[in-house]
Amino acid sequence: MNKQSFGYTVIFTALISFAFVFLLAMANELTVDRIEFNNEVRLQRSILNAMGVEFDSDEHAAELFEDVEQVEVEGLSLYSYERDDELLYAREYSGSGVWGTIRGHVGITPDGTRTLGLTVLEHQETPGLGGRIDEDWFQEQFRNKQLVDGRLEMTSRDGEGNFEEDSGEIDGITGATGTSDSFANIINAHLEELYNALGGESA
Amino acid sequence: MSSVAAPGPILKENLWTNNPIFMQVLGICSALAVTNLLANTMIMTLAVVGVMGMTNLTVALIKSLIPRKVRMMVQTLIIASYVIVVDIILRAYVPDISRELGPYVGLIITNCIIMGRAEAFAQSNPPLISMWDGVTSAFGYMGVLLSIALIRELLGFGSLFGYQIMPEAFEPWIIMVMPPSAFFVLGIIIWIGKAIMEREGAPA
Repeated sequence: MNKQSFGYTVIFTALISFAFVFLLAMANELTVDRIEFNNEVRLQRSILNAMGVEFDSDEHAAELFEDVEQVEVEGLSLYSYERDDELLYAREYSGSGVWGTIRGHVGITPDGTRTLGLTVLEHQETPGLGGRIDEDWFQEQFRNKQLVDGRLEMTSRDGEGNFEEDSGEIDGITGATGTSDSFANIINAHLEELYNALGGESA
Repeated sequence: MSSVAAPGPILKENLWTNNPIFMQVLGICSALAVTNLLANTMIMTLAVVGVMGMTNLTVALIKSLIPRKVRMMVQTLIIASYVIVVDIILRAYVPDISRELGPYVGLIITNCIIMGRAEAFAQSNPPLISMWDGVTSAFGYMGVLLSIALIRELLGFGSLFGYQIMPEAFEPWIIMVMPPSAFFVLGIIIWIGKAIMEREGAPA
């Protein structure tokens, strides 16, 4: 058969496309469960972390997560978890950073006056600069932070983190003013809604 | 360069005298994008080694069946398929690194070195030696990228593979974390490489 003929070219192209698409479909099929499981575990860990609930393994996290419920409060969809008669809330937040969407969870007390913790699940900030929002020291600043009028202030101190729980301030990232400001806007917009929904102003 | 088809000379050519990055200046985009942390660079370049080896092997195996008109399209199809397989594997087994590399793994498809070798070598050589050519070319690429990453991570973060190396008092160079610094470092590496070659008297 003439390999340069029109018919051969069409048949060859169709067959080879089929072969490789089949290979991809196989690879996808074999790993789809695992990838879904990875994402699920990450989400569960993030929500528990944001609420300040401690766990020591993925399995433990999955076990604790069985008691997490999705609830609707004043039109906001929240995750709730009861720890020793104490109600904890967490909410997913997302918004635009410098390069792309920043997404994660923030935990809050039922009266909406204190954050419990915060996680960053997804971001596209500059590695080593704005990208440092995914580092522990940055996220740990949100542990048990008292809100001031439903907000937290992003300040530029020494860039090493502000862990004073009643200061109402978060230390921004040195050299990443854009990311720090965007992050403050995103988180404050979500916190203010929570504060109002949970009746923080009357408390 | 087409006269050599023995493993030894191919190795030397791909790693040094005809290194894809500093002699052919191909694959520069990824040299800029994924070289600020050694660990990421390592995974990324290993992915390229796998993709290049498999692509060259496949192209060499079926080259006699490929009609000339659709040669390039078939090569692209082969490269894209292997890259997606690698991407899926990374997502399933090393999700953290996969997340950090983000879109760059997918962009291996556009790495000109892979198509360059498929077209220049695998199209006209037997399968095994083609695979060897692909793997060694990728090692040449890996060597240069790792050198860039070594300099950038050391000066930009003060660490190597995430372990703190520089003393506490060391002030990280923020420019080294940003993509433009890779231009300077790459330029310097090309300069050093060519200077050594000239001293050796090799035709540059």
